[in-house]
This record gives sequence, C-alpha cells and structure tokens, in this order.
Amino acid sequence: MSKVREGISESKMGNSDTKYHDRSGPHESPFFANNKNAAKPSLQNLKAASEGALFMAPDNVAIQEKLSKKAGALSANSSRLEFVFYKVFLCLFFLTYACFRYFQYTVNKIKIHVLNIAYSPSNTPQLIRQDVLKLSKLPKRLAAILEIKSEGDVGGGVSGLINDGSDLVAWSVSAGIKHLTLYDFDGYLKKNVHEFREGVHHKLSKYYDPSNVPKFAVRVPQWNSVYYNSSSTEFNGTSTKKVAIEISLLSNRDGRETIVDLTRTMAELCTNNEMKLADVTMKLIDSELLQLVGPEPDLLLYFGPRLDLQGFPPWHIRLTEFYWEEDNDQVTYSVFIRGLKTYSACKVNVGK
Amino acid sequence: MVESNNPDKVLAAIETEIQKTKEHVKREPPKFPNPFKRGEIKPYLRYRKTQLFKRILAIKLVHWTLASIETCLINVLKMGPLPQHVSFIMDGNRRYAKSMGLPIKRGHEAGAVTLLELLSACKKLGIQVISAYAFSIENFNRPQEEVDTLTRLLAEKLDEVARRAQDHKNELYGLRLRVVGERSLISKHLDDKITRVERMTEEGQEMTLYICFPYTSRNDIYHAIYNSAEKCKYFDESTSDITAASLTKEMFFNEYSDKCDLLIRTSGHTRLSDYMLWQVHQDGVIEFSNTLWPDFSFLEFFIILLRWSFFTTMVRAVRNQLSVRRHVFHFAKSHFFPTKKNYANLDTLPDPPQAISVIERS
Repeated sequence: MSKVREGISESKMGNSDTKYHDRSGPHESPFFANNKNAAKPSLQNLKAASEGALFMAPDNVAIQEKLSKKAGALSANSSRLEFVFYKVFLCLFFLTYACFRYFQYTVNKIKIHVLNIAYSPSNTPQLIRQDVLKLSKLPKRLAAILEIKSEGDVGGGVSGLINDGSDLVAWSVSAGIKHLTLYDFDGYLKKNVHEFREGVHHKLSKYYDPSNVPKFAVRVPQWNSVYYNSSSTEFNGTSTKKVAIEISLLSNRDGRETIVDLTRTMAELCTNNEMKLADVTMKLIDSELLQLVGPEPDLLLYFGPRLDLQGFPPWHIRLTEFYWEEDNDQVTYSVFIRGLKTYSACKVNVGK
Repeated sequence: MVESNNPDKVLAAIETEIQKTKEHVKREPPKFPNPFKRGEIKPYLRYRKTQLFKRILAIKLVHWTLASIETCLINVLKMGPLPQHVSFIMDGNRRYAKSMGLPIKRGHEAGAVTLLELLSACKKLGIQVISAYAFSIENFNRPQEEVDTLTRLLAEKLDEVARRAQDHKNELYGLRLRVVGERSLISKHLDDKITRVERMTEEGQEMTLYICFPYTSRNDIYHAIYNSAEKCKYFDESTSDITAASLTKEMFFNEYSDKCDLLIRTSGHTRLSDYMLWQVHQDGVIEFSNTLWPDFSFLEFFIILLRWSFFTTMVRAVRNQLSVRRHVFHFAKSHFFPTKKNYANLDTLPDPPQAISVIERS
C-alpha cells in the first residue's frame, strides 16, 4: 500500500510545523499542577487538598441537584447538616491519607537512595553488562518517557533532557539492547536532534574508547529522517561499522494525531476510488503505523513518581510492560536495571 | 423471543432462563486432601478459610454493621470529586480457582460476583460509566471448554443484571447495559440475547455498564478508522472533518470513548493487554493491584478511589487557585467592614468664594 504511505508522508510533512504545532497546549498530568508535583507531600499540597475537600462542589450529580435547589423546609436543613458532616469527614480522611502518604513517600525515597547507591554504573559498560548477564531475557525494544524539568532545576531544561536521553542510550548500548524509543511530550528531543546527537556521542565517548565510539542511528519517524553519529566522526572511517543501537524520537504528535492522519488519508483514497474500503484492515493499519511510528516496545520505563503515559502512541502499548518506581523523579540507572529485572521475570501469555 | 412490551412476562421468562443456566453449574466443595501431600493441603485450607469468612459475613448483625459502614464510606466519598469512567481488568480468576483447588469455572463465577458487588457500590457513589474487560478476542485461544463456560456465565449474568435493572427496589435500578466488542465473533443465539437485554435496559439513565466481550482496543480503533472512511465514501462527509474528536466518537464507548479516568487492573501484571489504549494513554490513571480479582474487596476499591479523589482534589485546587484565606478575607471585607467610598456630587458642594483677578483690577 505505497499510496497510503505517500499520502501520509505528505500530510505529515505539510502539517508538522504549522498546523498542529502547539495544538494541544501543555500536557495536563493528573498528578501535576502548575509544575508542582502533587505526589510529593508538602504543606502546600496538604492545604490545597483539605481546602479543596471542604470547599469544592462534589461531582455527584444527585448532590449537585440537591444543592442547587433552595427549598426551605426542615428536610433541606437536615440534609445541609448531613452534607457538612460528610464534607468534614472527607477532609479528615484526606488528612489521614496525607499522613500515611508522608511516611510512604519517605520510605520510598530512602529506598530509592539506597538503590542508587547499590546500582551505580560509574561510566563502566562492563558493570552494566555484568548486571544484565544475570537476567534470563532482555526486552528487544525498550521505550522510555522523559520529562522536561523547569529551567531552574538541577538537570532542567533541554540540556537536562538531552543528558537524560544520552544516559539511557549509553546504558542500553552497554546492556545490549538494540532498539530504544525516547518519548517526550513536547518533542524537544526531536527539535534539538543535532544537539542530542552531540550529547549521545559525548556520553558514549565517556563510556567507551573516544576514538572508537559505537555507532548509533537516530530516527525521527515524524520527518522520516535518520541521522548517524555526530558529523565530525563520520570522516574517520567508522561509518562501515555495524549500528549498535537505533534510537527513535517520538512526541505527542506521533500518538492520536498520526492515527487521525492515517484515517484521513485512507478516507481520501477510498472516496477517490484509489483503494477499496475492504482493503482497510487491521493488518494494513498495523503495518502503516509500524512504518509511521515504529514497532511496539516490550518494556516502557517511566521516570516519574506515578505512572502517567502522557499520550504515548496508543497503538503501540498493546502488550507493553510498564515499569516505574514509586515517588522517583530522576532518570537513574537503578530504575533502568530494575525495570529490566522485572521484565525478565514476567510472563506474557496473549489471551491464553 | 420475548415480547418486550409486557414487563411481567419478561421477568418471568428471565427467571426461567436463570433457573436453566443454574442447572449447568453444580457446586461441589473440593475433596478432603491427602494429608501427606503438601500441595493439596494449602488450597484446601484456603478454601475452608474463605468459607468460614462467608459464614461469618452471613450473620445478620455482622452483615448489617458492615453494610452501614460501607454506606457511610460511600457517602463520604460522594462529597469529593468522582471519576466519570471507571474500568476494570478482571484478571486473576483462574489463579484464584487454582489457589483453592477448585475447577476454573468456579473462579470465573466468583469473579462475576465481585463485579456485581462493586457495581452496586459504584451505583451508590454516582459513577456514571463502568466498563469491564470480560473477554478478549485473544481469549478464543483458550480451551473450548473454558470459552463455553465464560460465554454461559455472561449469558447468565446478563439476565441477572437485566432483571435487577428493571426492579424498582433493587440497587441496580436504572442501569443501562451495553455489550461492546467484535460481536460478529459470538454465536447468533447469544448475540440475539444481548440485543434483547440491551433494548430492555435502554432507558436506564443513572449508570452505563459496558461489558467488553470480545474486545480488544486495537480492534476498537480499527473499527473507528473503518467507519470514518466509510462515512466519507458513502455519506459524503468531508475528509477534512476527520479529527481526533470525530474518530473518538466512532468508538465503542460512544460519548465516553475519549477518556477513562481510572483503570484498575488486578493480579499484579503491569500492562494493558490491549485494553483501553486510546482511553487511558492521555491523563488516565492506571492502578495496579496485586490482589486476584475475586478477592478484590470493597475496601481496596475504596482506598483506590480515596487516593484518586485526594490527588484530583489537590490538582484541581491548585489549578483553580483556590485559596480559602483570600475568600474569607474578601467575604469579611465586603460583609463586616463595608468601607464603601462616598462619592461627592459637585452640585452639592458649597459655592467657592468669589474669584477676583489681580491683573484685571487696574
């Protein structure tokens, strides 16, 4: 179905920067508000939760109706009292939960710190390979969701994101994983692909012999382009080497919007009688999306406090195993290796 | 087929069908284990333990106390934010049966009971949409016997839910039931029955229950794409009108297809297994629980909901910049200390003294 592919690549190229850019605005996570991590216990958050519990209208439709009615009889009065009673109870529940959360958070943080001390690769691929050799299986394709932190933080901004991404590349190369998908909602990695290449090259030359850096390919499926090692090394005759890792950069654009594009193109082809409606099959859609976005990852790592898929391409998380560390907010090796460990222990039986 | 205009007849017909399906299912306790085999004793003890708990729960006083506590907890949760669409992946039925040394069929039955219990809790809470992953298209790969059991179980439970949804006194009254998925894969007889039950409960306003049978999310997306293309071809709709929103409308869950606020998966696997991919990948909360589905109790559900409610309240409060101090301050200022400025009218002022120019005097 080369026609479909042509149509899509046209529409993708045409729209990539103008029409859909910044279309969906910033990502609204269920656990973040105004750049504040709601999963992190703080007095401010506690205040917000208890005030919200007391003074925000409930979602329940029946109660909302009752509240909006202004009947003055005795019954209304008693239900008012009941309302206040339960509201106070809800607030108390929240406070209790917040206390519990505080302990949970502290325990999780301590656990993460201990793990970070236990698993430290210290830029040596041999250690990583040794860790991996204990596992019974590795994911063929690994994906990770990265988040940009605010400019002022440690490891924030685009440079922090590139650093996190190149860390992951270095670990994956050392672990022997051949495909890595990096997803960030706004597509900063994609937009700064040349800086990213430089970053990866720099990181890999820390891990390996700088004169003989493993070859990598960076693929941006949205623009259908492939880049290899940073331009300065291409003249050193290393280009004949086998590619050690293939990195795909994805963003929110590759999710729903790509599926919509595909639908639009197919609908156009069908109306112009260039394609039969019966040809629109699951197999075709799957193969097209494989071309447009890439294959489905086996393991998806998330480096945030609570699992939040952030609009990762929906077609591609069918059987993907998720791994995240509760209350963690950094891209660290311990999460990476523990994710691989969990993956090696899990059993997938499709349907059976 | 039953005539749907006579409710009494319909109910009677359903009663007989329930009797019929119940005959298929005979309950036998597992045999007394061989005391020299360790592998047999453990499941047997677990079975006896759950039996004992069931007996205790059946005591009226205990039952009444627990029920009132449950109602109280539900009333408290009602006061906060509620998810609009809650979804369950009912995983772990077979492991549950195995852990008790029971046939697999009994595990599935226990799972169905759990779903019904949670359903009435959700109904009381006022959650608008519930969906449950009953059967995946991939599940047709299971042994034929198990597929048959599941199909029969669905038929039985459909009848039960339909009957309860029609009954004024029942807690599930006003429920709308939909069975979604690749319906062409199920037998004609069952399909007719589903259509009948769906039509019976069509008027239900208060809650919608989607049973996914046999469903996969990719299949759902595929159908949406196909239907969109078909509309453009045969109904003269413009291709430029295809957007994420229009595509979402074509999906199985009608107007609720866009987002699933809370997805609960039991029995410890951390993957979606081709369920709710489109609904959950943006801002949906996924909760993984290690309990097997038949053991999934109201209390655990309550804790998950409380957690959801807690975070949602917090995020909403921060986003709306809710500040009680400011509100109280404004309220007090405007009600208790009215410092309204008295604006003067120029005409009411006394006349100024006469104006005399120094220059013009001479």
